[in-house]
Amino acid sequence: MMAWAAMVLTFLALAVGGYAVAVADRLIAGACGWPHQGNAWLAPLARGAWLYRQDANVTEAPDRPAWRLAPALYLALAALGLALVPWSPTLVVADLATGVVLWGSLEALATVAIFLHGWSANAPLALIGGYRYVALGLSYILVSMFVLIGVVLPAESLKFSQVVAAQEELWNVVRQPLGLPLFLIVGLGLTFWGPLNLADSTDLAGGTASEVSGPPRLVWEIARVAMLVAFSGIAATAFLGGWLGPWLPGPLWLALKMLAVLLALAWLGRVLPRLAPERCVTLMWVVLLPLSFVDLIWAGLEAL
Amino acid sequence: MELLTLLAVLLIALGAGLALQWPALRRQPLPGYSQRAPFLGGGTPDSHAWNRYHIRYYPMTLLLIAFEMEMMFMYPWAVVFVEKGLMAVMEMGMFLAILSVGIVYAWREGVFKWQ
Repeated sequence: MMAWAAMVLTFLALAVGGYAVAVADRLIAGACGWPHQGNAWLAPLARGAWLYRQDANVTEAPDRPAWRLAPALYLALAALGLALVPWSPTLVVADLATGVVLWGSLEALATVAIFLHGWSANAPLALIGGYRYVALGLSYILVSMFVLIGVVLPAESLKFSQVVAAQEELWNVVRQPLGLPLFLIVGLGLTFWGPLNLADSTDLAGGTASEVSGPPRLVWEIARVAMLVAFSGIAATAFLGGWLGPWLPGPLWLALKMLAVLLALAWLGRVLPRLAPERCVTLMWVVLLPLSFVDLIWAGLEAL
Repeated sequence: MELLTLLAVLLIALGAGLALQWPALRRQPLPGYSQRAPFLGGGTPDSHAWNRYHIRYYPMTLLLIAFEMEMMFMYPWAVVFVEKGLMAVMEMGMFLAILSVGIVYAWREGVFKWQ
């Protein structure tokens, strides 16, 4: 029974959180003086309705089933990711004994979904976007798993509920100060948002989505913000103590923490300059990966 | 039971993603060639996009495999870490140190340069 309630909550959070990201992104753009159109609260809905009614582009010889599958698959990965997040000690869709491993596999499969999206259009710019994402995705996945293993060490379990329970005294964001900043960078990479938007960037005329319009484009954009929401759920669980907090009920605390992570990501996405793709791989392997080793050793010594 | 609910989440999300696209796409006509041609900033395509393509970063992907294998050992290691204590720190520290030498070597060889 609890699992079904949690499932409803998960899909609700995907929808509300996705809308919140879209609004926050426009509000931040407005506050920074960048041009954006119309009322920030209505614009995401208007764009959604417009995309749904627009004709979908077709390329000369696309891999049609894969082209339609890729956005839906990416959306499904986001939903599965959020399904792993415990809203309270009992309110969780699936509290797997291997929860952290499953999240890692979702990140790896996201690479497949995004490459499929770029590949199946059979257009050069989309394909280049796909190949770029593979380079980026393979580089940050290690950083992601090292910092997540860092939060597993004190919990002595790969269960996300245990990871939260182990933060009863002190949240991991304080105990392992390198963890959350590194993980936020991974989040920007996973959704190719802001500075790490190499797959769908404007220098590729939209990258993997350059040939996509209409309803498939709508699903693709929904899937991206949904992945951002799922990522914020994992970040809040792993580093910000999940459901823990005084006075308010657990699920509300988690929702507030997720919102905080989402706002931070939307802000970072707007204020950081976009990275040159050819520098990205070096940065990930030579700077961020050693930093994640340091985080892991720090977490290990702290947990003993 | 948990896997069944996860499967339900997967099917619902996948179904929703496909359902948003399918009915809307069925009634749309095929656009003309000028729109269907791949966008090349004004140029015309003279070859298929699915050509042989030299992925310049492939040595990096080989390096990744070494780390992915290491990750496989790391999951069980993380669960028993506190129980095993300093011995676990030493063991994984040595393993990571050896792999780090690999990163330094790959860096020197220009594996992460992408051109």
